[in-house]
Amino acid sequence: MSKTTRLFIKRIFSSLIIIFLIITFIFFLIRLSPGDPAQKFISPSLSPQIAEKVRESLNLNQPLHMQYFGFLESAIRGDLGVSYNFRRSVVSVIADYLPFTLLFVSASFVFQLIISFILAVKSAKKLNGSFDKIFSGLALFFYAVPVFVTGVFLVFIFSELLNIFPSSGLKSFDFEDYSLTGKALDYLYHMILPIVTLSLVEIAIFYKYLRDNIEDVYNKLFVLNLRASGIQEKTILYKHILPNAINPLITIAGIELGIMLGGTLIIEVIFGLPGMGRLIIEAVLTRDYPLIIGCSLTASVLIISANLISDIVKAKVDKRLLEGSLS
Amino acid sequence: MIIKKLYLIILCSVLFIGGCEKNSPVRQNRIVIGLSSDITSFNPLFAFSVDEGTISELLYLSLINFTWDEEKGNLNPEPMLAKNWEWSEDSSFITFNLRDDVYWSDRVKFSAYDVIFSFDVYSDPEVNSRLFETFTDFYTDNENHIDIKKTFEVIDSFNVKLNFLPNSTPTLPEIIFHLIPKHVFENIPRNEIETSDENFNPVTNGPFILERWEKNQSIKLKANRDSFLHNPEGVEELIFKIVPDYNSRLTQLRKGEIDLAELIKTEDIDELKEEEHLRISSQKGREYDYTGWSNIDNEVYNSSGEIKPHKLFGNADVRKALSYAIKRKEILDEYLLGFGQISTGPVSPIFKEAVDPDLKPYDYDLNKAKSLLQNNGWKDFDNDGILEKDAVEFRFKLYIPSGNPRRTYSATVIKNNLKQVGIDVTIESIEAGVLIDNMFERKMDAWMIGWYVPIPIDLKISWYSDLEKTPFNFAGYRNTEADKILDNISDETNTEILSGLYKRLQRVIHEDSPVTFLYWVDNLVVYNNKIDNIDINPLGAVHHCWKWKVK
Repeated sequence: MSKTTRLFIKRIFSSLIIIFLIITFIFFLIRLSPGDPAQKFISPSLSPQIAEKVRESLNLNQPLHMQYFGFLESAIRGDLGVSYNFRRSVVSVIADYLPFTLLFVSASFVFQLIISFILAVKSAKKLNGSFDKIFSGLALFFYAVPVFVTGVFLVFIFSELLNIFPSSGLKSFDFEDYSLTGKALDYLYHMILPIVTLSLVEIAIFYKYLRDNIEDVYNKLFVLNLRASGIQEKTILYKHILPNAINPLITIAGIELGIMLGGTLIIEVIFGLPGMGRLIIEAVLTRDYPLIIGCSLTASVLIISANLISDIVKAKVDKRLLEGSLS
Repeated sequence: MIIKKLYLIILCSVLFIGGCEKNSPVRQNRIVIGLSSDITSFNPLFAFSVDEGTISELLYLSLINFTWDEEKGNLNPEPMLAKNWEWSEDSSFITFNLRDDVYWSDRVKFSAYDVIFSFDVYSDPEVNSRLFETFTDFYTDNENHIDIKKTFEVIDSFNVKLNFLPNSTPTLPEIIFHLIPKHVFENIPRNEIETSDENFNPVTNGPFILERWEKNQSIKLKANRDSFLHNPEGVEELIFKIVPDYNSRLTQLRKGEIDLAELIKTEDIDELKEEEHLRISSQKGREYDYTGWSNIDNEVYNSSGEIKPHKLFGNADVRKALSYAIKRKEILDEYLLGFGQISTGPVSPIFKEAVDPDLKPYDYDLNKAKSLLQNNGWKDFDNDGILEKDAVEFRFKLYIPSGNPRRTYSATVIKNNLKQVGIDVTIESIEAGVLIDNMFERKMDAWMIGWYVPIPIDLKISWYSDLEKTPFNFAGYRNTEADKILDNISDETNTEILSGLYKRLQRVIHEDSPVTFLYWVDNLVVYNNKIDNIDINPLGAVHHCWKWKVK
C-alpha cells in the first residue's frame, strides 16, 4: 500500500469519526431544544389524540437513549427514517433536492473560478493599474454587500425593469413541451440571475485571494532573479508566479465550495429554487428530526468531501504538500 | 476570438429563448396562483395545512358542497356527489342519493362503496387522518373507529343511508369531507396509507386533475373535462407556483407571472392599486389577534393541578383595565391602515346570526383603566412609576412570535400604553413553534398571538372550563355560566335559539375579559383582472375556482 493510499484511508477514517460526532451532537441538540414535531397535528379542528398518536408512532415517547440507539441501528443499514413532514423516507426526500444543489453550486463554482482567475491575472499584469484599482474596489464592494441585497437588486433591474430574465423558478411551466436543446436553454435562462447573484460575492473572495497572492509572489526574490535572467514577463507570470500563488486559493475554494454545497438558502428563497438550503430550514422550523439529521449528514459529507478534494488538488499542484494535506 | 464568439452565441440564445417565452401566446385559460410553501400530500386524509386543504378540494369531491351565505353568515349546502339527501325527522339517519355519472380519473365509477370506505378510513386509528376522533355522532368501537355495520345501509350502488347514535345532533358540516377511491386504497395496509405513493400520484374525481408536481416549484392541475363541474369558459390550467419570498411574489403579481396571491401586507396595497391589471379584495373575519392573560396561576396549576387566580391577571376588573388602556384603534389605523376592525369577542362578524352587534368594545379610556386598577388595590406606593399590590409589582413579560412585524408593532404599542397606567412590560420575541409549545404547557403569563376561526363556529375548544379537555383554553378561563351556554350550544340545532345562546355567551366573555381581543385582520387578496366571476369569501379565495371565467 502506497503512502498516499494510507494517508487517504486515514483521512477517510477521521472524516467518518467527525461525521459520527456531528450527527450525535445534532441528534441530542434538536431533541433537547424546545419545540414539538407533532405541533402540526395540534389544531382546534383536530382531535388532541392525533398529536399523541403521532408522537407515539414517531417513537418520541421513548427515552432519549433508546431513540438514539434505534436511530444508529437504522442508520447503519442506510435507513435514516421517514420525514415527519413529507411522509416519505428521508433518503428519497434528499434525493429530490440534492441534485439541484449539486448542479447549481458546481456550475456557479466553475463560473466563479474562471471569472476570478481571468480578472486576477488581468489585474496582476499591471498591479495598481486602473483595471486593478477598479476591480479591487468592486471586489470589496460585492464582498461587503449582503447576498439578499444583490439578489433583490438584480431581480429588480433584470426582471422587473428590463423584463429580460424570470424572477423565480427553475424552469418554465411549458418546459415539458420543449426540445432537449430548448430544455437546456430554459434551465440556463432561469439560472443566469441566481448564478450571478451567488457568484458575485464568491468571485470577489477568489479574486482578492488570488490577486493578493500573485502580488506576494511577485515580491519574492526568485522573481527578481528570473527577471534578471531575461525571462519574459508572461512566462514568469504563467510558469512561475501562478503555480506558487494558486495554493491558498485552492484551500479557500474548498471551504467555500463546502459551504455552498451545504445549501444556498438566501439565493434559493429569493429565486424560489428547490435546493438543500430551503429543505434544511423547513426541516428545522417543523422540527422534522429525521430530515434535520439527514440534511446535516449530507451537508457534512459534502463539506468534508469538498475539503478533501481541495487538499488532493493542492497536493497535485505541489507534491511537497501531499503529507501535510492528507494527514 | 472564438471564445468571445461562443459567449455571444450563448448569450443571444438565452435571450432568444427568454424572448420566445415572453412573446409566445400564454396558454389559454391558464391561471397561476402564488403560494409561499409547497404541500406534502394531495390526499385529503392528510390535508393538515390550509394549502393542502385548498388543493385537495379541487382534486377530490365531497357528498355535499358548501357555499357561503353572505346574508346569514352561514354555510349553505348544495348538491355535489349527492344529488339530494334526506334527514329523518329525529336526525337519527340521513339518506344520500348519489350521482351515477361520476368517474375516478382511472375511469372506475364512483359509488356508495367509496363513501363507506372513506368513512371507514378517515375514522381508523391506524391511519392518523385529520378527522380521527371527530365522528362523535356515529356508532364507533372503543378506539373511535366507525362501526360500519351499524352505521351504513347500502340501498343500492347510488343510495346509502347513514345511521347516527340515538339522541345525537349531527349536522351536515360535521359529516361532510372529501372522499377517496376504495379501489386504490383498499389493498394498502391502513398504517401504510400515510406514506404510500398513491398520495403523490392521486386518482381523483374533482373538477381538476393533477398534471405535474415539481417539488418546491409548482403544482400543475388541468381541468377535468369529464367532470360534471367542467366549465368550458373556465380555467383550463391551474398552476400553484411556489414562491417563498414575499417580495418576489409581489414582483410577479405586478409582472403578470402570478395571477393571484393572498396575505398581502397592508403597506403594499397602495402601490398595487396603481397596477391597472390588478384587483384587490379583502377576505374579512377569519383571523384575529389577541393578547392573552393567564387567568390562573400557571405554576400552581402545573405542579398540583390546583386552580388559583393569577397574581396579576386573576381579576376580571384588572383585565378590563388592561383592555381600556390599549389603543387598539391606533394599531388598526396606523398599521392595518383600516383593513380590519376592532374585536369585541371570539365570534367573528362574518357569523351574522351569531355575532352580537350591540356589544361595544372597551374603547381606550386611560382614566377608567387607572380607576379600575386603583379600586382593585393596585397603587404606586413607592412612586417609582410602577403599580404595586401586596408587595408585588405590576410587571410582566409579553411573549410574541418572532418574525411577525404586525405583532411586534402591536406589542410595542401595548408596552407604551400600559406604561402610562404604571405597568411595566418587557417584550420577549421567541420562535413561533416554541411560543405555541409554551402556551400548551402553560409556561407564560402574557402573550400575543392570532387565532384563525373555524367554520362553522366552535367556541367550546377555547372557552370551556375543563382545562384537561380544552387544551386551547390557554388563558385558563373558567366560568360556570359560559360552560352551561356552551353545553346548550352543543345540543341545540334550532338556529334562532343558537343565535340567542351565542349572543349571551359573548356578553359573559366580554364581562370577564379573559383576554384582550385586539382586532380582526383582513386577508388581502390581489388578483389579475383576467379572472372573472371570482367570489372571495370566508371560505377562501380559490374555493370554487372551477366557476371562474378567464377573460
